Amino acid sequence: MSDSARVGIVLVSHSAALAAGTAELADQVSGGTVAIVPAGGTDDGRLGTSIDKVRDALGMADSGAGVVILPDLGSSVLTVRALLADGEELPEPVAIADAPFVEGAVAATIAAAVGGDVKAVTAAAEEARHARKL
Amino acid sequence: MPESSEATVTLAGDLHARPAGSLAIAAAKFAASVQLSAGGNWADAKSVLSVMGIGATCGQIVTVRATGPDADEAVAALIEILVEATKVGA
Repeated sequence: MSDSARVGIVLVSHSAALAAGTAELADQVSGGTVAIVPAGGTDDGRLGTSIDKVRDALGMADSGAGVVILPDLGSSVLTVRALLADGEELPEPVAIADAPFVEGAVAATIAAAVGGDVKAVTAAAEEARHARKL
Repeated sequence: MPESSEATVTLAGDLHARPAGSLAIAAAKFAASVQLSAGGNWADAKSVLSVMGIGATCGQIVTVRATGPDADEAVAALIEILVEATKVGA
């Protein structure tokens, strides 16, 4: 709970619209105080994932406290892992959250908004797996 | 002996995602543990998904309960958000 930098969130989806819409929703719920950057679709706008988009999003999301990445399905995870394994210079620390996409994004963003570190934000996203909506 | 506090409010509108976020952010500022209930379901006020999960709707009575050193302040802050954020048109 301080004025220091907040953890950023990157949403990696096969669909640019899904990533952007989820970012919009999480931004509304958290009151717009966290950098939530969508990285959806391929470089030419088709369904798929782009390592370049994820790299750019990481740079945009980081304000010094690190970034938590939420992948949607399958190859989103592979793309994120490939980027992290590349050994190039990326924000530190970075974590991948194993979480439902929408609920995880909302929970992670609230955790970041209240000053949680990368570990706390990742945990909040992963706890979303157990949240009942009915 | 930890301080505890409790208050209720009748919702003027449904408890949507945005006020749930405001409640979770506000609750996190207090050391006290804070819970909300509506219709017999209890939620951890610091968990946005838990708050959304109680599905509180217009006309329901919501109870806010806190235990800890700043329990009174926590309950007052959350009641105020529940009143403001569920006003029709908010």
